[in-house]
Amino acid sequence: MKLNKKVKRVGIISGILLVGLIGVGKVLNIPVLSTGVNYVLYPFEKGITVVTNGISQVYEHFRQVDELIAENKALKEEVDQLRAKQVVAEQVADDLERLRSALDMKEVYVDYAGVGANVIGRDYGNWNKVYTIDVGMNKNVQNNSVVLAEGGLVGHVEEATNTSSKVITLIDSRSAVSVEVSRTGDVGILRGDIELANDGLCLLEINGEAEIVKNDQIITSYLSDVYPPGILVGRVEEVKVNSNDLVTYAYVRPVVDFEHLKQVLVISAEGE
Amino acid sequence: MMRTIVLGILLVFVHILESTLFEYIRIGGIGPNFMIMIIVSFALLRGSKEGMLIGLVAGLLYDISFGLHIGPTMITYMLIGYTCGKFNKNFYRENFIIPFICTLISSLFYSMVNIMALVLRGTLNFGYFIKSVMIPELIYTITLSLIVYQIAYSINEKIEERERDSRNMF
Repeated sequence: MKLNKKVKRVGIISGILLVGLIGVGKVLNIPVLSTGVNYVLYPFEKGITVVTNGISQVYEHFRQVDELIAENKALKEEVDQLRAKQVVAEQVADDLERLRSALDMKEVYVDYAGVGANVIGRDYGNWNKVYTIDVGMNKNVQNNSVVLAEGGLVGHVEEATNTSSKVITLIDSRSAVSVEVSRTGDVGILRGDIELANDGLCLLEINGEAEIVKNDQIITSYLSDVYPPGILVGRVEEVKVNSNDLVTYAYVRPVVDFEHLKQVLVISAEGE
Repeated sequence: MMRTIVLGILLVFVHILESTLFEYIRIGGIGPNFMIMIIVSFALLRGSKEGMLIGLVAGLLYDISFGLHIGPTMITYMLIGYTCGKFNKNFYRENFIIPFICTLISSLFYSMVNIMALVLRGTLNFGYFIKSVMIPELIYTITLSLIVYQIAYSINEKIEERERDSRNMF
């Protein structure tokens, strides 16, 4: 393959143009290259995901009929029991509301406005855990938007393009989240670790004097720029005994099942 | 021209398949690296220059989709393509031992680069990396490389046939 002059000239000019375009994009904060590539990849990835989801749904549909009949019967009995309990619960809720207004207490959980999304691509290397989701700037998702699923934290958006965005998860070895133990209020750092990530765990590094036991609830702390405080992360699975008293390590099991993650919720950290 | 289009479509197609459907062929959470197989096959069949270009496009696709920065995978893949292309001159295309060995060394090299990146970030459990990620990935990749090389060989034959025909026309 001998390059003649014309091909060389075209190559050099297009190279300079491309670098210039990326430079302008960097200045104006538009990811030019990723947006272009994602426009090509998005329809295919989305299509394949829709088809595989559809197929697995049909398959499940036929597989589960017997199970569902039995489950339906059990559930009907449970509904009857729950109806009775609900009446009591409603009374308790009324009492709580009345007492809360008396004490002038604020709501414990803040509701965040969010947009739902599907996971349409996964990192195929064996070292990192990065996902692609099918919402982007068109749905008002920005860099550093926070991603939740099943009521727990998944990670944050690393780069948002027009149609899709790149999400870095908690269990990726490059992610670190400032968290606190909700029982004691001790603040620590939650890191991804490759060895633990394959079991769906991550590593919590906390002050040696902190009292931390198994099953402690872990939530995001008030120190982070990216993550709003009070989002549920997971529970402590195991506390590692350490020879020095400076740092305690603990394994945390996130609420989210990263292996079978399909739907997520993206919220904007800035809010109003 | 024909060659550029076919290889471009092939790379994008494999990239999409790997990020969506091929999660079902993972064994114990470890998947094979199809990009390395493709780069090595075409580099051996066509030489350094094309090997490097294919490595560049494949690495760029990965870095844009899943990397934090553009560059690390791209440069690794380019080096793999360039080095394997050097063997183009002195091997028979029907021989499948050299693609096998080249894939083995390339996969090792790629894992080493990733481990280096992790070591620089302060994680030092080499034993786990080597035993549970590097070796399984290596075995999976070199096993499939035998099939992928045959496919790449037949694609290349088709393209070269087309190119010969079009040259005869003028």
